[in-house]
Amino acid sequence: MRQGTGPQLRRNLTALAVVSVAYLMFTIFVTNSYYQLILTMVPVWALFGVSWNILSGYGGQLSFGHASFFGIGAYTVTLTVVYWGLSPWLGILLGMILGGLAAIAIGTPTFRLRGHYFALSMLAYPLAILYVLQYLGFQEISIPMHRGNPVAFMEFSEPRVYTLIAVCLLVGGVLVSLVVESSRFGLALLAIRQNELAAEAAGINTRQWKMRSLVVSGMLAAVAGGFYARVLLVVTPDSVFGMLVSAQAVVVTLFGGVASVWGPLIGAAILVPLAETLQAELGTYLPGIQGVVYGVAIIGIMLLSPDGLFWTVRDRWFRQKTAAPVPDLMPMSPPARPVSAHAGAPLLKVENLSRAFGGLKAVSEVSFSIAEGEILGIIGPNGAGKTTLFNVLNGVLSPDEGSARLAGQQMLGRKTFEVCRMGVGRTFQVVRSFPRLPVLDNVIVGAYGAGLSDRDAIASAVRALHQVGLQDESGVAAGQLTNKQLRLMELARALAGNPRLLLLDETLAGLGREECDGVLKVLARLREQGMTICIIEHTMHAMMRLADRFVVLDHGRVLATGLPRAVVEDTSVIEAYLGKKWLARQNA
Amino acid sequence: MLEVKDLSVAYGGLRALTNVTLSVAEGRFVTLVGPNGAGKSTLFKTISGVVPPVSGTITFRGENLLSRRASDRAHVGIAHVPEGRQVFKTLTVRENLEMGAYPKTGRAQWTQTLDRIQTLFPILAERAGQLAGTLSGGEQQMLAIGRGLAGAPRLLMLDEPSMGLAPSVADMIFDRISQIHREDGLTILLVEQRVAEALERSDHGYVLETGHIVLEGPYETLLNDDRVRRSYLGLTEA
Amino acid sequence: MDLEILIENVLNAITAGITIGCIYGLMCIGLGLIFGIMRIVNFAQGELLMLGMFASFYLVTGGKVLSFLGPYWGPFVGAICAGPLIFAGGALLHKFLISRVSGLRTAGSLDEGHYGQLIVTLGISLILQNGGQILFGSTPVAVRTPLSAEAYLVGPVYGAATVFLNKAKLIAFFVAILVAIVLYLTLEYTRLGKALRAAADNPTAATYMGIEVDTAYRIAFGLGAGITAIAGGLMATYISFGPFVGFDYVIIMYSGVVLGGMGSILGAFWGGLTVGFVQQFSALILPPQLQNAAIFVVFLMIVLLRPQGLFGRSAERA
Repeated sequence: MRQGTGPQLRRNLTALAVVSVAYLMFTIFVTNSYYQLILTMVPVWALFGVSWNILSGYGGQLSFGHASFFGIGAYTVTLTVVYWGLSPWLGILLGMILGGLAAIAIGTPTFRLRGHYFALSMLAYPLAILYVLQYLGFQEISIPMHRGNPVAFMEFSEPRVYTLIAVCLLVGGVLVSLVVESSRFGLALLAIRQNELAAEAAGINTRQWKMRSLVVSGMLAAVAGGFYARVLLVVTPDSVFGMLVSAQAVVVTLFGGVASVWGPLIGAAILVPLAETLQAELGTYLPGIQGVVYGVAIIGIMLLSPDGLFWTVRDRWFRQKTAAPVPDLMPMSPPARPVSAHAGAPLLKVENLSRAFGGLKAVSEVSFSIAEGEILGIIGPNGAGKTTLFNVLNGVLSPDEGSARLAGQQMLGRKTFEVCRMGVGRTFQVVRSFPRLPVLDNVIVGAYGAGLSDRDAIASAVRALHQVGLQDESGVAAGQLTNKQLRLMELARALAGNPRLLLLDETLAGLGREECDGVLKVLARLREQGMTICIIEHTMHAMMRLADRFVVLDHGRVLATGLPRAVVEDTSVIEAYLGKKWLARQNA
Repeated sequence: MLEVKDLSVAYGGLRALTNVTLSVAEGRFVTLVGPNGAGKSTLFKTISGVVPPVSGTITFRGENLLSRRASDRAHVGIAHVPEGRQVFKTLTVRENLEMGAYPKTGRAQWTQTLDRIQTLFPILAERAGQLAGTLSGGEQQMLAIGRGLAGAPRLLMLDEPSMGLAPSVADMIFDRISQIHREDGLTILLVEQRVAEALERSDHGYVLETGHIVLEGPYETLLNDDRVRRSYLGLTEA
Repeated sequence: MDLEILIENVLNAITAGITIGCIYGLMCIGLGLIFGIMRIVNFAQGELLMLGMFASFYLVTGGKVLSFLGPYWGPFVGAICAGPLIFAGGALLHKFLISRVSGLRTAGSLDEGHYGQLIVTLGISLILQNGGQILFGSTPVAVRTPLSAEAYLVGPVYGAATVFLNKAKLIAFFVAILVAIVLYLTLEYTRLGKALRAAADNPTAATYMGIEVDTAYRIAFGLGAGITAIAGGLMATYISFGPFVGFDYVIIMYSGVVLGGMGSILGAFWGGLTVGFVQQFSALILPPQLQNAAIFVVFLMIVLLRPQGLFGRSAERA
């Protein structure tokens, strides 16, 4: 469980209890059997939305084919009752397991895709299943009555019992969602959603977390589908594997609020009764009004309030006036730096590194080394290959040739998150934060990525915040930070992973004079504490004051290395920046 | 012809340009130099209408340029040869030039303009049917300049034409630009990192550093001013 | 004899594959314009196909506007007329909805605006499908022409094996090729076509040239919608359809465009032709319901194994 989520979790649990009880009380007053059915359906669709939310809301992997799991749950329950006489209580459980297995089967190939290809491919699965089922002749299957043992077969004469079961199942789903949200699982998913590359660079094994989220999602969706089949008593392939089913998960969650526990509930509570009532009243003149309502709902939400109702309402009327309480932790002293086995040997040694794109050599036979505790500045005119160099070191790109060793260990050819675990922290030019979450949560992602336990992660994050001077802002929502504070937060995130080497990409870009000074002080302090830093920068006057040595790149090649004052007097460097003629004139 | 007064531009909270004033008189060749990140490209983007200013004015031939949409600005005679060339990679060389001639002024004089472009850059005639994405860096730069000329513009703006090019190729490009200025009398605004190459061919120069104009003057003055070098290499004291 | 039957089936599958494949090719060109060139993910492309079918239907059979042309010319002219109608519809869709989640507005973002496009076009798809059900009813209809029941007989080719060339499909095939050629010539050789390609290639540079990129995208989107609609109108002459028909063809369209390689109109055509071929051949061994499942499998294989298609550049892969 994450630091600081305690009070919010308690609030959510209380609200959940209150809402559930109120809802159930409400059912006492409803006597019309059609409306009672709607009351049962709302939690079912809400649960389906909750399941979708875990993969596609928190995780950002848009899936247009969640009907796969819903349908698997539905057909498992139906077929086991009909052919094996299995009680639906067990059928739902079995469906849940099958849903999880299906998730693994579907996820393994499909997670190799991203973005719209992923969404479209997820679409293909339920439809393929649908066609196969139609071919196999499973047009319509009904669940028979079991007068002998009604309770065992989930048969109740009182329709409100179904609502009760539905609400219980939903509460179970919401609890799962709450656990995910308030643990590192949730943060990892949010990080992946926001910027998968940066998440990898922070040490998060994105493939693993995406698969986990799909499995949880699939299991919950199958439960929803299984119960749905039990209530409706009749399943056809289209009613549980069809496009409208998949769309319903998307619409309900998007409308209510993605990546929030309450979103799917709000969406289902508003849209399901609305659509069903309209369908019942106007269905004869306007068949399909349901689909139109859903379509209008998501277009409207996407254009007006893209994150969903929950967030819009919360942002506007429930803005946090005071910062959340800051964890009362004393900062630990920086961890003792392990004495290098090779004292005096360089921490990072890059040899003959090359990387080309098509015919263009972006990085060409670059060699340099960084000693432990040193700040090395990588400079050079625009387009010199500096960021490409970092991308190769970081594992984002593979090298064409050459080697890079961190304390003797080969860095290249590893996945990005593995490089991070080796002890390399990286910042990116564009800072992407979780604007609604407090600074501490933004920073702690780096600690999770490094594989620290929950307790150690908090300590590491707090220490990182102290190192950059943001300890007083740890409870502030990241969206309210200034530019300079955002940069420092990004730095803290990299520090929270306890790196030995920091790769900083244009940390000072666009900062004003004073802000720049502030960040420089932080970096200098880090060096005093023994951190090794490699920084790409254009702001020359700042670099002159900060860096111990420079490496100058031009057209992908190393032009010069050495002490700053010496390098800027170096004629080839001046030529690279100012041009050959300038040099000629000066010397003339 | 072009008057920029007190222009300030910001990108997402970062000040890119602060109170920039410069002017380009008709028929002159003006250069803007400065280190990386100084804001040079931002100025061009603002003139072309792709980035809105926070405050300040831009007047072109006496008319307020800011009141025009971005896609209209080419039609009043401003040609922008962008940073990194930005040729249409999936179109042929010939089609790229035709796109440059999109404004009416370009179409009216198309035959003569095309002739002129092919005289300046014969390789464009040779490779007329080739996809622009397959050209070398230098050839793409020539194409980008040709594309700028194709509209028969009144003002030609060039953003770092030497970037990413080998020095000899860059020199050739600068020669051509000077030639265009000399022979056609075209008004030119050039942005460059390569200081001397840029300044020595121009009539007047400005030095931009972190969004401010820090120096200006005729080229002889600037060439001999060591402040330029220090500005680039971060040796200026605050 | 079995061999004769086999040969007859194979030959007919080949001819069906070519004729229907070219109509699919036209359909895919429409999506290719939108997805392949403008990189806008349009989930509602199947519904644009459906609207084309219904537009043609109402022009010819339902509303009898074109009935003066008779049952031989009418349906095909109707199919072509569906084009401009749906072009206008597509342009309106773009103006009010799609442009908010695409183009210069989203050019710099991490996912190029695809998330917003997927959601908005899903919404449009739902509205069009179900709205279609309200407006048109769910009883399947078709554009009636006696040609769909007539065929030219070629052969006997081998023993008693004969090739049947369904007349409606044959004429639709020629019209599809004609429209594809006209579109290709327009895009390649006219000033408008080049401006559209330039705007899709590099919207910022196109703005510098004085091209109004928003309008260019609008026209391109409308064209993509209209072309697919014409393909729909042509299909309407030999299949019966209802408001939910679009869905069956979405995956075929995406398969075709991805297979042919993104960014290439010709590629989209070949991709559609190939997918059509595969579908007709699968009819030799698979029952109808599984044919569509087979197309899904093909789509999955394409995006997993060769997302750059036969002719194209790279795609999004993990």
